[in-house]
This record gives sequence, structure tokens and C-alpha cells, in this order.
Amino acid sequence: MAANTNPKQKALVIGLIILGVLFTAFFGMRVARAFRKFDGHRPPPRGEVETDVELIRDWMTVKFISHTYAVPERILFEALDISPNSNFEKSLKDINEEYFPDQDGYVLDLIKATVQTNLPQPPTGPTPPAAP
Amino acid sequence: MSEFFLTQVINFGTPLVGLILFLGALGFPVGASVVVIAAGAFSQQGILPWATTAVIGLVGALAGDTLSFSIGHYAKDWAQKRFENSTLWLNAKNSFQQHAGLTIFLTRWLITAVAIPTNLIAGGSGYKFSHFMAYDIAGESVWILLYGGLGYMFGSQWELVNDFLSNFGGLVLGLVIIGFGIRQVIIMQKAGKKEAYKNAEA
Repeated sequence: MAANTNPKQKALVIGLIILGVLFTAFFGMRVARAFRKFDGHRPPPRGEVETDVELIRDWMTVKFISHTYAVPERILFEALDISPNSNFEKSLKDINEEYFPDQDGYVLDLIKATVQTNLPQPPTGPTPPAAP
Repeated sequence: MSEFFLTQVINFGTPLVGLILFLGALGFPVGASVVVIAAGAFSQQGILPWATTAVIGLVGALAGDTLSFSIGHYAKDWAQKRFENSTLWLNAKNSFQQHAGLTIFLTRWLITAVAIPTNLIAGGSGYKFSHFMAYDIAGESVWILLYGGLGYMFGSQWELVNDFLSNFGGLVLGLVIIGFGIRQVIIMQKAGKKEAYKNAEA
């Protein structure tokens, strides 16, 4: 940098470059990590029901989970032991806060377990004819 | 905050996507990019109609950008009075005018963190609205089609896409800052050499 440059301006530019390097290093590492995760997962085949219950989040509603995993809403509400009325549009987090305020994460865990045990069976191929 | 909005998108559908993108374009921290990716995934799952969602989302984003451009436009006189002696403001204005189109286009979908300041500077620097709109439509369309399309492709695993894209935007911003800093160093060096040459001649 030229020696006769305004020192304030010089400090500003150096600060800017340092900030840029920090930003690049921080987000670069996060991008690399996200890419590795990205690479290890493949989207489910089109038209197939989702089966990975670990993708269930507490912002989801019972109705949405029922649609995504093809598990009837009735089964999920029965497991929670609450009425479906007025609870359709509530997130799992809101249901947890309203009905189970002392048990953090209870609704999410219960819904995951219920969905896992009630997932629709994958279609099986044609059964071979019985031997004569 | 974006989790609250995701629940509402599930419940209220497409109009809410438009409203969220409108608020996001005005600078409210609603997680607009997350909602675009999630809306793509919800379309793939049959929760939202993809074409209507894309159009309403685009209209919402454009309306928000227009409003923030207008805020910059109507604050122009105030900024002029306030910063008329500031060389930094004049340099920023001139630099923006030189690369306005590319800046508007890229800040819609690649470096979204600086989209609002860009709208305000565009409005405040007297940039032509019709030109702003043309680049804005192009950039927002890429944003919705690219982000929403990846959400659609990855379906219920859209969070991976969000994780990648949100960090990628930060990485690009970091590289832009470094590039800008290096450019300033080169300008300073050139100015210094010129001055030294003048002094030697005198």
C-alpha cells in the first residue's frame, strides 16, 4: 500500500480484508460440512412415502406429519391422548407447551415413535404360486 | 422465527408465502430463503400448488423490493443534505451506478444479506425504477426457481439444501469483501505512484 495513504483509510481497508477472510473461513468450513452431509443423502424416490422419522420437527403439525408419513391423524391424536378438535393447526411444540408443559420434547418423541410403528408397509412383489 | 412461519405456511398455504416474501424484502427477519426452499418441498409433497406458490411468492418479493426502493427514493433529499460533503457516500453512489444491474441481480439470490441496502441505495441514488425492476424480476425469479426447485427436488430432506445454501451465501459475501478490499489496495497504490511521480517531476 502506498506510504502516503491516509492511515484511517489504510486501517479501514486492512480491517475489511481481515473481515472478508474471517467470513470466508467461517462459511467455507460450514459449506464443506453441509456439502458432505448433502452428498451422503439422496432424496426419496418420487411418489414414495417418507419413512425417516428423524426428519420430524417440532414446528410441524399433526396434519402435516400424517400427510407426509401416511399415518392416519386419528392414530397420532390417540397416542397423544388429546382431542383432534382445535389441535389440527397447532405445532408439536405448541401442543407440548399446552398439554405437557413439564415434559420438554415429549410430544416430538412420542410422535416419532408412533409414526415409526405405524408406517405403511412397503408394497411386496407378487407371491409365488404355491407348489403343487 | 422462521419455524413459526413454516407452521403457518402449512396451515394457511400460498398467500402466506407471498406475505412472508413481502416482509422479507422489507428487511423483517422472517427467514424468506428458508420459506422458499420449504415451499418447494411442500409443493413436492402435495401441500402447496407449485405454480401458484411461485407466482404469488414472486409478486410478494417484488412488492417488498418496490417499497424498499421507494423508501430510498423518498429519503434521497434527506440523504443528499446529510451526506453531501461525504466522499464515501459519493464514491458508494458512483460505484453503485457503475455496477447497478449486476449488483441488483446478484443480491436477489446469491448475496441476499445485502439486498435491502442495495434497494435503499438504488432508490436513494436516483437509479431508474424501470431498470431496477427489470434486474429485480430476473434476480427474484432465479431465487424462487433455484431455491424452490432444489426444495422440490429434495422434498422432505429440504433442510440439507437450506444448510448448504445459507452458508454458501456467506462464503460468497466473504469473497466479495476480500475482492473489494484488494481492489481498494490497488487503487490506493496507483494513486500513491501517481503522486510520487508528480512530486519527482516537480
